Amino acid sequence: MLRWRWWLVGMLVIAVIIAAGYFPVLKRHLRLSAQTPAKSEEQVRRELTQPSNASTGGPVGTAKLYWSSGAHDGSLMPVTVDLPLSRDPVVRAKQVLNTLLVGPVDVELRTLPPDAVLLAFYLLPDGTGVADFSEALATATPSGIESEEMAVQSILKTLEANVPQIRWLKILVHGQEVDTLAGHLDLTRTFLVNARAVAMPARPAAATAAADESPKPALKSAPAAAGSATVKSPSPAAKKPAAVPAQKLTPTTPPGKLTPPERKP
Amino acid sequence: MVLDPAHGGTDPGARGTGGIRESEVVLEFAAQVKTALESLGFQVMTTRQGNENPSFDDRSSIANAQRGAIFVTLHVASTGLPGTVRVYVMSDLSASSDASGLIPWDRAQAPFLPLSRRFGDFVQGFLAQRFKGSPNMAQVAAVRQLRTTAAPAIAVEVSSVSVDDRGQLDRMAPGVADAIARGASAFRPSYVVATNPGERP
Repeated sequence: MLRWRWWLVGMLVIAVIIAAGYFPVLKRHLRLSAQTPAKSEEQVRRELTQPSNASTGGPVGTAKLYWSSGAHDGSLMPVTVDLPLSRDPVVRAKQVLNTLLVGPVDVELRTLPPDAVLLAFYLLPDGTGVADFSEALATATPSGIESEEMAVQSILKTLEANVPQIRWLKILVHGQEVDTLAGHLDLTRTFLVNARAVAMPARPAAATAAADESPKPALKSAPAAAGSATVKSPSPAAKKPAAVPAQKLTPTTPPGKLTPPERKP
Repeated sequence: MVLDPAHGGTDPGARGTGGIRESEVVLEFAAQVKTALESLGFQVMTTRQGNENPSFDDRSSIANAQRGAIFVTLHVASTGLPGTVRVYVMSDLSASSDASGLIPWDRAQAPFLPLSRRFGDFVQGFLAQRFKGSPNMAQVAAVRQLRTTAAPAIAVEVSSVSVDDRGQLDRMAPGVADAIARGASAFRPSYVVATNPGERP
């Protein structure tokens, strides 16, 4: 019995000695972790949503990304970046858009806000891509027609250059359709990315304009205000972009009525 | 002429680090454009007179209720080379109507796109003469305000709220007003409006 007690005391002494030896190591770990800056919520989300390049399995290729040219005139400049591009169009779209969001070396040439995150990307069978960005895209893009147009065009041109399967693009903010990007540019529409997108069924002819409007049901009753308008209802001729005659111009269709604006709740 | 000083109310629009607010600057610009247009014989309406913020549709409604209106929405950018001015017209819309011939409200601009482009090029041409570095032709963008406007419609955007002193922007107002008025005057002869509903010109 006495021998058993000596064994127990011995074991406890050894455990205390090991713990005492580990204590400085633990202290150093705590000090190091305290020095590491805390990650913002957006950074953590970006890490979680960003696809791992290693997991794509694709060979390293050259992606063409569109950032500002720096000319202060709203123009964009293509920049080639080596990326392990996936063959899957959805993964590939995420790769190039995430790289576009990270931005160029010169931060002055950014087209999208640094805190914006691509939350999801879908590709519909008709070639319509749906890019869902975090709220920072709407709240942190500089307000203005030029800056908002540059942001959207950088997305469209980057997708056109790298993902040939995408024909149109719908941009969502936090899963929702929004009226404008930052007060000016219309985001209710579906943007044309690439009219020659491969292996996609054709859309109705009216939708093959340079940019396509998301169809919404027309309301049948005209508002009183529109009744007195000089508005012309469109004729088939108005459906195609017509050349502007040299002299007398007029809407090519007889006056008609406007449907009232769609009231959103 | 329907002038639209953009934003207002709770929406200040673009804001500069020096406290410049787009909604206030465009109100001053609109007053000067109105005077310049009236001096050339135009009848002018504005979508807001003070610090209100009508909806996009309410602003369009003012132009859509007029016969033969021309619409100009005024903006100040966050970016761009200070001292330059750009004119935008709506990018292509697929024009469509249903069996009853009604134009969908959300594509009201579609039948007017060629006229808007012509008007925009006139105004941009006059602006380029006065403000060096501005483009020579109107540019195309999916500007929300233009989409529901059933009239020749342009957006004029001045650069920018990033200037140190608001006086720099205010000094541009007479030149912008003159260019818009001259552009409207040059465009007017080519804008023929049918006098009777249903009549083809």
